[in-house]
Amino acid sequence: MNKDYLIISNNPLVKENFQDTIYFQGTLEELLIKVRDMVHQGHELITHPLGASIRMMFSPYKSILVSSEKKEFNEFFASIAENSIEDYRKNTFNRKTDYQHKNDYAMIDKELLQEALKEHVSLRAIN
Amino acid sequence: MKLELRKIKVTDLALGNEMKFENGLLTIDPQVIIDGLKDDVNVKDVRVDIAKPGDKTRIIPVKDVIEPRVKVEGTGNGFPGVTTKMEQLGSGLVNVLSGAAIVTIGDIVGFQEGVIDMWGEGAKWTPFSTTYNIVVDISVADGLQPHDHETTVRIAGLRAAEIVGEVARDLTSDEVEVYEMGNIFEETNKYPDLPKVLYVEMLISQGLLHDGYIYGVNSQKILPTLIHPNEELDGAVISGNCVAACDKITTYQHQNNSSIIDLYNRHGKDINFMGVILTPELTTLEGKFRTCDYTAKLCKTLGADGVIISEEGYGNPDSDLLMICKRLEDSGIKTVLITDECSGWDGMSQPLADTTKEAVAVVSAGNVSHVVNLPPADKVLGNPEAIATLAGGWEGCLNDDGSMKCELNAVIGSTSEIGYHNLTVKLY
Amino acid sequence: MTYKVLYYVNQFFGQIGGEEKADIAPILKNEKIGPAMGFEQLLGGEAEVVATLICGDNYFNEHEEEALKFIIDAVSEVNPDIVVAGPAFNAGRYGMACAGVATHVFDELGIPVVTGMYKENPAVDHCKAKAIVVEVSDSAAGMRNALPVMAKITKKILKKEELGMPKEEGYFPQGKRLTVFSNERGSERAVKMLVARLKGEDFETELPMPVFDKVEPAAAIKDIKKAKIALITSGGIVPSGNPDRIQSASAQKWGKYNIKDIESLKGGYYTIHGGYDPVYANEFPDRVAPLDILKKYEKEGEIGEIFEYFYTTTGTGTSVGNSITFGVEIGKELMDAGVDGAILTST
Repeated sequence: MNKDYLIISNNPLVKENFQDTIYFQGTLEELLIKVRDMVHQGHELITHPLGASIRMMFSPYKSILVSSEKKEFNEFFASIAENSIEDYRKNTFNRKTDYQHKNDYAMIDKELLQEALKEHVSLRAIN
Repeated sequence: MKLELRKIKVTDLALGNEMKFENGLLTIDPQVIIDGLKDDVNVKDVRVDIAKPGDKTRIIPVKDVIEPRVKVEGTGNGFPGVTTKMEQLGSGLVNVLSGAAIVTIGDIVGFQEGVIDMWGEGAKWTPFSTTYNIVVDISVADGLQPHDHETTVRIAGLRAAEIVGEVARDLTSDEVEVYEMGNIFEETNKYPDLPKVLYVEMLISQGLLHDGYIYGVNSQKILPTLIHPNEELDGAVISGNCVAACDKITTYQHQNNSSIIDLYNRHGKDINFMGVILTPELTTLEGKFRTCDYTAKLCKTLGADGVIISEEGYGNPDSDLLMICKRLEDSGIKTVLITDECSGWDGMSQPLADTTKEAVAVVSAGNVSHVVNLPPADKVLGNPEAIATLAGGWEGCLNDDGSMKCELNAVIGSTSEIGYHNLTVKLY
Repeated sequence: MTYKVLYYVNQFFGQIGGEEKADIAPILKNEKIGPAMGFEQLLGGEAEVVATLICGDNYFNEHEEEALKFIIDAVSEVNPDIVVAGPAFNAGRYGMACAGVATHVFDELGIPVVTGMYKENPAVDHCKAKAIVVEVSDSAAGMRNALPVMAKITKKILKKEELGMPKEEGYFPQGKRLTVFSNERGSERAVKMLVARLKGEDFETELPMPVFDKVEPAAAIKDIKKAKIALITSGGIVPSGNPDRIQSASAQKWGKYNIKDIESLKGGYYTIHGGYDPVYANEFPDRVAPLDILKKYEKEGEIGEIFEYFYTTTGTGTSVGNSITFGVEIGKELMDAGVDGAILTST
């Protein structure tokens, strides 16, 4: 079965556990920008780039799912990708990324990615 | 369904040699709780402490808060589907140790936050500084996987609430709150001219530390679903949310859901309150589209005239909130949203991540970035390291005199998006 | 102890002269002039106006850097506890000057500023976050009502008293969202709000959504080589001498000039825009409105033709209301003339 998604991640734990992760070494902000750029190039956003709480914004690691295929530019996804960067910056400009607990964040990010993958795969007609 | 909550008022709390309630004083024997919880092989150690309103005590990091109760008539004692066998909730007579709360601490990961200060400046910002708190610190067996760790602590907290709740079994009180509602047709026949109102309650449903449960079913697995308000008031919904201290819906807040209670109070007067729709907040966008469409469809199918929508969390759930709002408003259904905002330390930033012009009626539960100054505590229940995490967030956070600056987003229940607390935001 | 107030006014309120004196450089007078006199009386002896700064509105808008240098130095020297400016009512240039003074005094010297403007004055948005801008009427006839409000707020700020809500005190909200305690919990307020909505009654949202003025873009030009293109600018490029007297800031009008027979704007045009250094634009105005390039494209067949009229106005300090009006008026002329596309430059 063909994978229709790409994992964009700066989480070494995800790189270790998921084949074909597009892994890059950078900050969470850089990751959000990279994903934004990919959305502009036509990749569809599969997961929302932001976490569900402010605490998760201090994580050094994040994994985001986008479509592997490039499709027509989608304004809604682009606006989410852009707004996510703005929101991230607004919430973190005077806070430090929490490297002290990076292993915990790595583990939680991997868990959340796994759940997101389950969600994504279950939505497809062919299983 | 008819649910009666008999409120037995707790006005003092003490540790002692027995589990007893007399003249407002609740006495807790820690050993009873410890023995009860250690039935679970995954529980290694339990510590029980108390924290009373006014004590210079800080509790951190808080995992969940649960109200101790016991069902004396009707089905579903405990938490059916979770700690007890599956049974229907929403009817019967429940004795509630009102004013007491079980507060579980014990972090699954090092970055958990969530502070309750029982006195001083910090006390104003959390609703749990005015409850008599039985603080239960649970440590688990070595080598437990994170999922099992979370489950263990979650279940232990619920079990502790049941153990303490048992104290109320034979007690009585004059204060009984009655929640009674027939089916939608019966109620509409009674109040044909009142506008039909639904409450949409969004729940974080994204994975470990970000879960919710309905009769034990993980909310990530469900489609938006209709539930009778009595069921939630009777314990059908519990929290698995260990992040988002400021706006997580603790189990206590599900049991005492203020949106449900305030809507119920107006039922038959200004509104015809039809029920509650539980909507999961998913991570994938397809998932969000599905749940938002489905929620709007349920509201339309039920013929709602107005809907109150509450959120849990901050960040990606804001998209769901606004999508549901837009779909409802476009269908002619009037909405009121309850959300918190992030306007920066100075209150000058754009409050929400996304916007939609249809959101014309919004209640703001507060600015999560509002900075408060917390004085040094005499006693800390929990993990002092967590204070360092809280304080270590930015420069100059910990002051020389031991006081510290803390953003509201780290204070339990401060910006509750079910409207449980009383913060608001004004434009100056 | 009496606090020190420094008062800022333009050439008119500073009793120097009218429009003809709008280009005077700033001066500092160690006395109370114009509205400063009445203002001091309203302070009830708790503060005194020790000096008045006067600056021509055109001078400020066209030589902002020099004007501010003088003003900041003067304010530093006087070292007042507060600076009061205007009120500017609906005067755009005066408003922009007061806004400039307010933001720089606040940012550079940390001294609080109180001013007064009419709600449509474009300068309100430029300084409301940094100064307290009292809401006043649209003309100087409202001076009698404006000064007392400004004085009351000034006294509160001097005594470090907290200001009440903007509506109560009479100033424009600064845009600060403050978290405060309410008598009612959030869900009660939500239920009340919903009941009001369902009854069709008034309600006030606690979180106003920003309104974005979304304009649908027109369809793309099918064949650019056949298209009629118009050139428009808000960079204030006008024929030498500014025959139509378009304002350097807070424009009240736009101009239209026939450019059919010239190859570029050089020589015959210059800039009157008060918001940027004019040297390079005056040397070669096509840098702001590229007529020369368009003419080249027309000759080479890259575009069909250039519309014979060139439209111009000044963008800085121009109100949103006026901008919308200009856009609609110019747009109509272009539509009627069969123009396919327009290039609009701004600075």
